[in-house]
Amino acid sequence: MLNEEYAVHCLGLTKKFGSKVAVDSLDLQIEPGTLFSLLGVNGAGKTTTIRMLSSLILPSGGCAMIHGHDCVKEPDAVKRLVGVSPQTTAVSPRMTVFENLVFMEELYGADKKTAQRNANEAAERYGMTEYLHSPSKILSGGQSRMLSVAMAMAGGPKVLFLDEPTLGIDVIARRRLWKVINDLKGKITIILTTHYMEEAEELSDRIGIMIDGRLRACGTLAELETQTGLKGLEPVFIKISEGSL
Amino acid sequence: MKRALIFAKRNMTELLRDPLSYIFCLGFPIVMLAVMTLVNESIPAESSMTLFRIDNLYGGIVIFGQFFIMLSVSLRVASDRRSAFLIRLFATPMKPFDFTAGYVLPMTLTCVMQTLVSFCAAYVIAAITGYSLPVGGMLLSLAVSALSGVFFVSLGFIAGTLLSDHAAPAFCSILISVGSFLGCIWFDGDSAGGVLLTLCRVLPFYYCTKAVRAAVALDLTPSAFFVPLAVIAGSAAVTLAVAVAAFHAKMRSDSN
Repeated sequence: MLNEEYAVHCLGLTKKFGSKVAVDSLDLQIEPGTLFSLLGVNGAGKTTTIRMLSSLILPSGGCAMIHGHDCVKEPDAVKRLVGVSPQTTAVSPRMTVFENLVFMEELYGADKKTAQRNANEAAERYGMTEYLHSPSKILSGGQSRMLSVAMAMAGGPKVLFLDEPTLGIDVIARRRLWKVINDLKGKITIILTTHYMEEAEELSDRIGIMIDGRLRACGTLAELETQTGLKGLEPVFIKISEGSL
Repeated sequence: MKRALIFAKRNMTELLRDPLSYIFCLGFPIVMLAVMTLVNESIPAESSMTLFRIDNLYGGIVIFGQFFIMLSVSLRVASDRRSAFLIRLFATPMKPFDFTAGYVLPMTLTCVMQTLVSFCAAYVIAAITGYSLPVGGMLLSLAVSALSGVFFVSLGFIAGTLLSDHAAPAFCSILISVGSFLGCIWFDGDSAGGVLLTLCRVLPFYYCTKAVRAAVALDLTPSAFFVPLAVIAGSAAVTLAVAVAAFHAKMRSDSN
């Protein structure tokens, strides 16, 4: 039975692409305000899970809810509640940073004045004022990722999906993005996928490890350490990934 | 509708800031009008060939220009798909109608703007070369170009939706070559007759050129204007419906 009090709740969530099972009977409960990191090697099913939870694709089986709204039956309600920062930066290249932010705010229903005010506030919050009126196509990788996260926050989502947000950006930009994510912690629910163990360690309240579409382990870092008898997320992840747990 | 207009504004902004848009959508028809007028001036008067005279040429160039808008639309849609920008927007509360209208509206407006630019250029050329163009006919051609614009924009939309950003322009280039020929832009199909004319009449391009030329000449007889106009309207409606269906289908498959 799905519980409406969870920010994210799935039961037996499954996605098959032909004969390949990308996500296999995923059971997951995430409390509101939690930062949940979903870890796994490439092809483990992390992005597919995010796509199902954000009503982008239909599951092959099972069910999922975002704050009590069914991801299959109520996609519009779900899309109003979630923000998505995809793996590849998705911005409008010839529009400025400001215009991109206003565009997203307006898509989520803000009037022009509110959208502009929110865009200015977002630029301030995410340190983008310097290049606010520059075309997005000239931004660096780190700046693009920051814009992508800021755009995902348009409309004030209750659940934010960050799909490998720091992939391919330098250490300074990564730390800046960590600060932004840390500032959001507790205010909204964040589902983060990443390949960087130190990132998950630094930011997460809870961690889930997916292997071949299945959630093999889930808990706080301390709980996972106790389960494996190891110290630190990287050895814990390797042990679980290699199937020795 | 509000989201469709917001998306349309975004697409218009992207279009206006892309230098290629000015070359393809505005510069090209003006250059073609000027070049073909020079060709016309070189044709001996005894030949009685009037195809490239400005009153005929204008109608052909209006439709030829819309072929390039079709190419531009296909590139825009295919690039948005490649960049994952559309996938990102699929996660917003936008509906398939918002996407379709958001692409079709600004590009159809561009078609009318393009016709207006060609209109002005043709008017200047007519004045220089000593011909007169009826302003009423030219204004009517703007209305026809809006209708044919929906047809060409929808064609580009289908190409951009179904093909990659490499394949879509290649496909559109083939369509430009074949369509402009069978659209009787560069030759007088009605005088040619035979199999060639039958072939031209099978496709809507011929009717597009014919309707604009009839509009300019203020020849509002059913066979010259209203029948071609009805064919354009029907083709635009069918192509737009196919574009919506194709985008809806692709929206699902791209996500899956």
